[in-house]
Amino acid sequence: MTRFPEDLEARLRAAAPAGIDFSAATDSHGVTSAWVALADKDELKAVGEVMARLGARLSLITGSQTPPPPEVEDEEEEEAEEGETAEAAEKPVPMTFGGTPMDGTAYEITYSFDLVGDTVTVIAYAPQGGSVESLTSLFRTADWPEREIMETYNLRIENHPDPRRLFLDKSIEPAVMERLIPFSTLTNASSTTALWEKVMESAKAKEASES
Amino acid sequence: MSSAVTTPGKSVGKSNYTIPVGPLHVALEEPMYFRIDVSGETVNAVEINAGHVHRGIEYLATKRSLNQNIVLTERICSLCSNSHPEAFAMAAETIAGLTVPERGQYLRVIAGEVKRLASNLFNVAILTHLVGYESMFMHIMQVRETAQDIKEGVFGNRMDLGAMCIGGVRYDLDEETIGILTAGLDKIEPEVAEIVKTFKTNGSILRRTKEIGVLAKEDAIACGVVGPVARGSGVDYDVRREAPYHVYDRMPLEVRTFDDGDVWSRAMIRLHEAQNAIAIIRSCLKELPGGAVNLGTKLDIPPGHAVAKAEAPRGELIYYLKTNDTEQPERLKWRVPTFMNWDALGLMLRNAKVADIAIIVNSIDPCISCTER
Repeated sequence: MTRFPEDLEARLRAAAPAGIDFSAATDSHGVTSAWVALADKDELKAVGEVMARLGARLSLITGSQTPPPPEVEDEEEEEAEEGETAEAAEKPVPMTFGGTPMDGTAYEITYSFDLVGDTVTVIAYAPQGGSVESLTSLFRTADWPEREIMETYNLRIENHPDPRRLFLDKSIEPAVMERLIPFSTLTNASSTTALWEKVMESAKAKEASES
Repeated sequence: MSSAVTTPGKSVGKSNYTIPVGPLHVALEEPMYFRIDVSGETVNAVEINAGHVHRGIEYLATKRSLNQNIVLTERICSLCSNSHPEAFAMAAETIAGLTVPERGQYLRVIAGEVKRLASNLFNVAILTHLVGYESMFMHIMQVRETAQDIKEGVFGNRMDLGAMCIGGVRYDLDEETIGILTAGLDKIEPEVAEIVKTFKTNGSILRRTKEIGVLAKEDAIACGVVGPVARGSGVDYDVRREAPYHVYDRMPLEVRTFDDGDVWSRAMIRLHEAQNAIAIIRSCLKELPGGAVNLGTKLDIPPGHAVAKAEAPRGELIYYLKTNDTEQPERLKWRVPTFMNWDALGLMLRNAKVADIAIIVNSIDPCISCTER
């Protein structure tokens, strides 16, 4: 028994004329989980408005990047990139529903809404360096998750009321989730160079006094 | 600011200050920095600066296999450590279409409710400490210590139970451990009833918690708060009832709400849920069926995506898992109950007295390592 309004799919389709890919499944406890992929990310706000009118709670926003399709001949591929770009471009890149190429750099942003226990997850796709509209004006709970996405991915959130860094310091380069960070670097967050700077300074001072 | 004689930029009789609370502060167990603008004794505005314990666990999770992530997610938070691998395993099971054996589902409920009991007692203990009622603090911690003994006796650990795995649980109960569990509950149950009585009658507690740090119901809904904070403000939502999982639909679950939205209401919800946890564990033990506790170790999780929710001691914990052809998750993301509470905290602290700041911060049962990951 789902607690969605019966015409949920129709309402979402009306809000997103470019098209949606809708699917829903109900588990043995009667809890329904629906997935709504948007063909056009610019219709996200309209879909958000439908959910807000239904009294949904925006409970989770996830930013992610689908890795590139596996490359069969890795080494040759690298060589080809230099000279034979035309040939490389011919390789078919998998497309999302709606036609965003999933080349390993595009983003998939999922918005999970709670409707009295049931879940509706809306998926928007954006190309590398692209942007999606902020939902903070509709849902207060979008504020922090959107700030977190902005600091971890090279993705812009348009019209965010407070686009400052959330957890990461300004000195840290952006898009941390898009870079390979060695484990030693990742876990070494608490150490500083303060000690070595002191040692070097005193060594310099000693050198200066001797000369 | 209402007076006509007030000159802009000049305070009359009162002084405006900005006081820092944290990142390291006696009232906080974990680092968070609050910049609090006060006018005399009253809080005007709060600015929260986070990120002191950001560890990049979401990044790390994508470099580990699904089974390794059971271990990793348990270490995100200490007080709701069990709920993390629980919700994560539920997401993986949804993708693979696995059904946990009945006995495993009961054992999952027992592990979750033992953690809830200990976690909620810990929070109300800290509240009495902040109120200045030290003997009560010692007493509740002693009661909670019995819950710790249960964890150590049954699971072998005092904090991280290591109970969950994809497809079920990694522990089983026998006569001896059921004995430890029931003896512990028998000891805790009357004690918690006494604590509830004290919370209802004791002047020191009532004076410092009633009508303090109020969060109105509309604000609770707007901020999207969950768990005891939401229920203390009249939002009648509990994942165990709204989106039942395991065998919660067969349990004597009681979801209670209060309309006042103050520190006292949140504490009373936590105490009631500690009592209800005992009733749920007893019911599980009574109905506990035989059979396997998990589906074995050779499980295949196909590519797919899923969202799973569980009611952690602090409220709804939600996991998003996306898998592909590799052993590692393509993306693993979670949102903890405390995440929205920080926003609500700004509303609770508005016009609060400086002396109440620590009590109000504690009343959201903050978990900072959870928030920042």
